[in-house]
Amino acid sequence: MRVPYTAFKIKNAPIRKKLIQAFEQVIDSGHYIQGPQCTSFEQEFALFCGTPFASGTSNGTDSLHLILRAMGIGPGDEVITAPNSFIASASTIALVGAKPVFVDVTEDLNIDPNKIEQAITPRTKAIIPVHLAGRPAKMVEINKIAIKHGLFVLEDAAQSIGAKLQGKRVGNWGDAASFSLHPLKNLHAFGDAGIITTKDVKLIERFNISKNHGLRNRDQCDFWSFNCRLDELHAALLRVQLPELERWTEERRELAFRFNRLLKPFVRVPEEAPGEYHVYQTYVIQADHRDELQKYLRDNGVEALVHYPTPIHMQPAATGLNHLPEDFPVTLQLSKRIMSLPLYPGLTHEQQDLVTELISTFYQNKNK
Amino acid sequence: MQFSNHDAILADWEKLILSTEFTLGSYVENFEKQFAEFIGCKHVIGTNTGTDALILALKAIGVGPGDEVISVPITFYATIGAIITVGATPVFVDIDDRYQMDVELIQGAITPKAKAILPVHWGGASPNMQAIMKVANNYGLKVVEDACMAPGGSIDKQHSGTFGHVNAWSMHPLKPLNVMGDGGMVSTDDDDLAEWMRIYRNHGMVDRDHNSIWGVNMRLQPLQAIVASHILKTVNETVKARNKNAEILDEGLKALAPYVKLPPRPIGYRETYSLYMAKFNKRDELIKYLNEREIEAKIHYPVPLHLQEAARDLGYKEGDFLNSETYCKEIMTLPAHQYISRDQLEYMISSIENFYSNF
Repeated sequence: MRVPYTAFKIKNAPIRKKLIQAFEQVIDSGHYIQGPQCTSFEQEFALFCGTPFASGTSNGTDSLHLILRAMGIGPGDEVITAPNSFIASASTIALVGAKPVFVDVTEDLNIDPNKIEQAITPRTKAIIPVHLAGRPAKMVEINKIAIKHGLFVLEDAAQSIGAKLQGKRVGNWGDAASFSLHPLKNLHAFGDAGIITTKDVKLIERFNISKNHGLRNRDQCDFWSFNCRLDELHAALLRVQLPELERWTEERRELAFRFNRLLKPFVRVPEEAPGEYHVYQTYVIQADHRDELQKYLRDNGVEALVHYPTPIHMQPAATGLNHLPEDFPVTLQLSKRIMSLPLYPGLTHEQQDLVTELISTFYQNKNK
Repeated sequence: MQFSNHDAILADWEKLILSTEFTLGSYVENFEKQFAEFIGCKHVIGTNTGTDALILALKAIGVGPGDEVISVPITFYATIGAIITVGATPVFVDIDDRYQMDVELIQGAITPKAKAILPVHWGGASPNMQAIMKVANNYGLKVVEDACMAPGGSIDKQHSGTFGHVNAWSMHPLKPLNVMGDGGMVSTDDDDLAEWMRIYRNHGMVDRDHNSIWGVNMRLQPLQAIVASHILKTVNETVKARNKNAEILDEGLKALAPYVKLPPRPIGYRETYSLYMAKFNKRDELIKYLNEREIEAKIHYPVPLHLQEAARDLGYKEGDFLNSETYCKEIMTLPAHQYISRDQLEYMISSIENFYSNF
């Protein structure tokens, strides 16, 4: 028996017919750019998150980049974020000409609110908390700090579609939120796509113009910009999946809770804190002898991955920021211990039991 | 717009959605190879849009803050948007009577800050690329061709978009090589630039766990690469059909001089007729008249870029580029695509004749 990291086929086979119908509908419509499918998906996604506005984009990176621009963040500004995320959380800050300022995380993998204030300088303009792996960041504390210091809050919700804190979905806590709809996300395009949410009417207006060449209408260009539109085709396929999302998420959660029970004796498992609704986009454990364990699992057909083995502050691209690895000790420590196990709708109990047995055997042999 | 090979595209899409090749992968790679062969160049790198292709090309040749890039005020916003996006300053030169960059004016626009020339194959016609390359080489400038409308076009049998150092393409639905949404690519013969662009397009990642530069996500969508591979097979036919339609329109409209002014059609230039354009007297009244007769004539575009709201900081004013400004007042685009019938072409010509017969 193999346990692959993804199983798109299992998830998509039951909705195959609907997906093909969506394709045909778009082909026949003659609308391929910002047509009715995009508009409907944006409305449906806003409704799902409980925010007034949503706007589709070409990918999660473009979403972050354009929101930062719409907030007016640029050269000379600083933006606070976590160093253990996907590189786009920091690269987009650098791309608008601002400086990424990292704040260490806690054991829940999310930014530590207790360390944010000491990173704030007169140049700080925004905080980008990342809801990593499907778990909401500590938004109540973060928002308090942001209000106190007059900072924007941009939620990087790329990995947490549908996650909730105190019953309120992510994407609904900050000034704006960026979602990725990359294939490894709980709700995904068959390629690259993204969407943003906000309750700020001015921001959404500027954002919608900036994702379409700065065009107010076909003949008037308000400011120079570029093209970060959501494809009509992707929107149509996303609309087929959105109604399935709650069911898929519930299945993920049940599988995650089962894994938590089974694996707790051997490794640190991602349990929810009170008030959190974790969507387990990535099921991340913390394990001793991580590299050996990963190899052992892989040798036995279990595709375990690490998200991410090199923290952003240690990437070659971050050389100019002059960080030492131990500047963010929790992140550094976690980068040696974290491992993502396969978890998705369609994963069987037998597969979970196999993973458990392998992990158990691994540690028994270690302790001999 | 129509797509004649629905079933083949659908069959490939069905294969794709049951696969895992959603980011780059074989569909994108295959299309990149096919297009490289089609235009006759070494490397093609698929991007998410034509605008991304322009940005990627400019970044690859090292254009950044403090640099100037010479381009034209008659183009789509994205040409200039891309220059601004990389932090450089656009410097405009006027267009010639073919609505292309006037090569005689380039030299006068070169300052010590000039880094690159960005000529546009506007409408699918081509500027004099050989002359532009000569100026560029004389002054040590790089050239990025905006070949967004040029697939299927050529100058003296050399494919448009293969003259410059790095060239940008679009596959927006209104282009001769189109996808069903957004898509683009860059092309180059330079191995090092190609390698850099592949990395930058994919988050600066050299592999899954390492990134060497801060990059972005500009990946061509596999869904669209499938469409592009199918449409590529038809591009030569499409351009041939458009050329035939253009010939018929030219013939009919020639007789309406001086009310209608056609651009010169020099020998050796194969146009793609992405936009079939000519200058018309009383253009605004004519377009209204044609639209009422269900002829979808359009204006690309009524305002030159140096007079757009977005250009206010560049310090240009009315009168700076007279040919461009006249162009915007007189230009009109007629539908000449491959699905237009002979009857429809004749209906357009006779409608325009009727309009002018009242004068």
